[in-house]
Amino acid sequence: MNTTPVAGAADFALVAPEIFLLCAACAILLIDLWLPQRLRQVTYLLSLVALVVSAVLVAGLPGERMTAFGGTWISDPVAKLLKLVTCGTVAAVFLYSRDYLLARGLFRGEYFVLGLFATLGIFVMVSSGSLLTMYMGIELLALSQYALVAFDRDSPVAAESAMKYFVLGAIASGALLYGISIIYGVTGTFDLDELAAGLDGSAATNVGLLFGLAFLMAGIAFKFGAVPFHMWVPDVYHGAPTSVTLFLGAAPKLAYFALALRVLAEGLGSAVQAWQDMLIVLAVLSLVVGNLVAVAQTNLKRMLAYSTISNVGFILLGILAGTPDGYRAALFYVVTYVIMAVGSFAMIVALSRRGFEADRIDDFRGLAQKSPWFAWMMLFLMVSTAGVPPFVGFFAKLYVLQAIVDVGFVWLAGVAVLFSVVGAFYYLRIVKVMFFDEPAPGLAVSASGSFRFLLSVNALAVLALGLFSGALLDAINRALP
Amino acid sequence: MLITILFYTFAAVLVGAALGVVLSRNTVHSALFLVLAFFTSAALWLLLEAEFLGIVLVLVYVGAVMVLFLFVVMMLDINVAQLREGLTRYAPLGALVALMVIVQIVYVTWVRRLGLTADMAFPSAEPLRGTQGSNTEALGALLYDDYVLPFQLAAVVLLVAIVAAIVLTMRSRPGLKQQDVAKQVAVRKEDRVRLVKLPAEKGP
Amino acid sequence: MSSLATIGGPVGLPHFLVLAGILFAIAVAGIFLNRKNVILILMCIELMLLAVNFNFVAFSRWLGDLDGQVFVFFILTVAAAESAIGLAILVVLFRERKSINVENLDTMRG
Repeated sequence: MNTTPVAGAADFALVAPEIFLLCAACAILLIDLWLPQRLRQVTYLLSLVALVVSAVLVAGLPGERMTAFGGTWISDPVAKLLKLVTCGTVAAVFLYSRDYLLARGLFRGEYFVLGLFATLGIFVMVSSGSLLTMYMGIELLALSQYALVAFDRDSPVAAESAMKYFVLGAIASGALLYGISIIYGVTGTFDLDELAAGLDGSAATNVGLLFGLAFLMAGIAFKFGAVPFHMWVPDVYHGAPTSVTLFLGAAPKLAYFALALRVLAEGLGSAVQAWQDMLIVLAVLSLVVGNLVAVAQTNLKRMLAYSTISNVGFILLGILAGTPDGYRAALFYVVTYVIMAVGSFAMIVALSRRGFEADRIDDFRGLAQKSPWFAWMMLFLMVSTAGVPPFVGFFAKLYVLQAIVDVGFVWLAGVAVLFSVVGAFYYLRIVKVMFFDEPAPGLAVSASGSFRFLLSVNALAVLALGLFSGALLDAINRALP
Repeated sequence: MLITILFYTFAAVLVGAALGVVLSRNTVHSALFLVLAFFTSAALWLLLEAEFLGIVLVLVYVGAVMVLFLFVVMMLDINVAQLREGLTRYAPLGALVALMVIVQIVYVTWVRRLGLTADMAFPSAEPLRGTQGSNTEALGALLYDDYVLPFQLAAVVLLVAIVAAIVLTMRSRPGLKQQDVAKQVAVRKEDRVRLVKLPAEKGP
Repeated sequence: MSSLATIGGPVGLPHFLVLAGILFAIAVAGIFLNRKNVILILMCIELMLLAVNFNFVAFSRWLGDLDGQVFVFFILTVAAAESAIGLAILVVLFRERKSINVENLDTMRG
């Protein structure tokens, strides 16, 4: 037995943000217990403070790649960037959801505590250096999400979608674990660095590894919501309370990107030939199905769910390039997508009011007459997601296309462009409905001042990041050199 | 030879129990078949010298998780006959799926031997033990040392499960008659007993 | 102390992997067969995780590496937490519609 402990003070310093987040979540859970309902705002404010402090602690982490706890934990610039974006996104989600939750009697401390635990799960996934840590992170995030979807206990639709999400999620976990077990058997390790060191070029043809990889890929695709493992996405986005959809649609995507990056690119990098083919199938199907089905939707939450699926196709395209350029493009894409998604779902929250969900596309009719400012903000978000210059969504798509053309997949780029054009149709339909239709009765933006301010910042950021996309690109290049 | 007989016996019972879980008409029977499957698995894990896990499987799984399942099955008033009518309709599809998965797994693990060239027999060396020759000690050393971080995360996962289960199922219903022990203990004599002075009754 | 190999039994790693594979297949088929009964689907998921655990334990013995058993330890923990949440959602669902039939779960379409 070794006598020197694996974990020392230096190791714990690298998990300081996570330790703080965990302690804060536990403290908030306890404080919330003693608060009367009229002081519930304290829980909300404390949760925001916890996120801000975590972000400060993350910013203080060293800028180079370091491992801790015997290789089960990685602290590197990508993790740092992803964690900072996660903190920002979750804080925005909390701000956006406050009024929504208050109006529906859902303003309970557990919403924020579960949100913080989910954030911790994202942090763990982003930094995991072994498949075991990754699995714990995945489950921490997933379990919090199942509970959040079912959070509105009096809504049969929410319970139904939570059940669907749970059952399919558990099956996906099973497939993922089966894949991990086979990979462990073939390679003798589940440490990602050791996995990378132990595999060589012949890995891509090893039947055992391919077999394990197929199961692993099914698990990853499910988490992302890539076709054909996408069945849960529209139902869960639709059935969950909108404030929870806001959460599901944004921050976890960063974690799933990290899952793909760590496991496929870092751990199984030498088997790139093997997973590239699988990703091509997933990406093309996601682009085709996501965009085509989105056109037929009348419910905005479902439309955005299918739009998520098609955007996941783009993220996978970046990853499957298998080059540093591709990974950078995918990182750029996922970061900008999260900003756009949070804004788009927040628009639904902005138009919703007590007893009414503005989740049908018709509910946006004539918004330009009632509230031109918000109509323009929604226009920015939709046009950017559609990929129109000079908004940031255009550059995200451009970098991904560049990366895959560089490795010779011109036909894939063609498919992606073709279906982006199809996709542009349904985003622009919303713009048309907002600007050229007669206002729907009772249409009103019932949002508080902080909400309006944040939403404006969010939408304008999409434009600003597009105009100054070089700055974001620099940050991405520093994170993934 | 003994090991071979034990393996095939337990394996047969395990597969039978698994089929019982899936095909049994009564949900309670399914749960009990699952208990049997866990017991036989524990025995098979003992053959593989995973003593600690074998015992934990029985204690935690059978002792806690399956009891939870049985509680829920019995708590919810489930219409068994109605739930079961789909079984025959989907039977061919289910059998086909099972067959496909089995053929695939047998091909990769048995015919192609996972693409490995190494000897597939279990090595006779016994490296899986700590200094005292105990599986539990060796596992503990790993858990509290190499895997201390995931170990703590496992605790967080359990905490999330507790929070989630309470959030979802506990509700304070108005009008429910409840006992407040603290209130009962804190009660003082003055709150309950009132001494009343009554004029003495006049005798006849 | 006796082990499988010293006894000279012909039971090797593939035997356990195939056994785990059969369990996994039965679990997957069970999910297909019992689409109406959520609680049975939860049991099939437990069966699926048991199959995965078999793989890990067998590989761990074969590789002479305890890490596989450590992974099983974590899977058992997480699976217990998972079934607690699953059953909690099931109870919420049952309260709402007095049925656990998944085929009734079709309020959302599109």
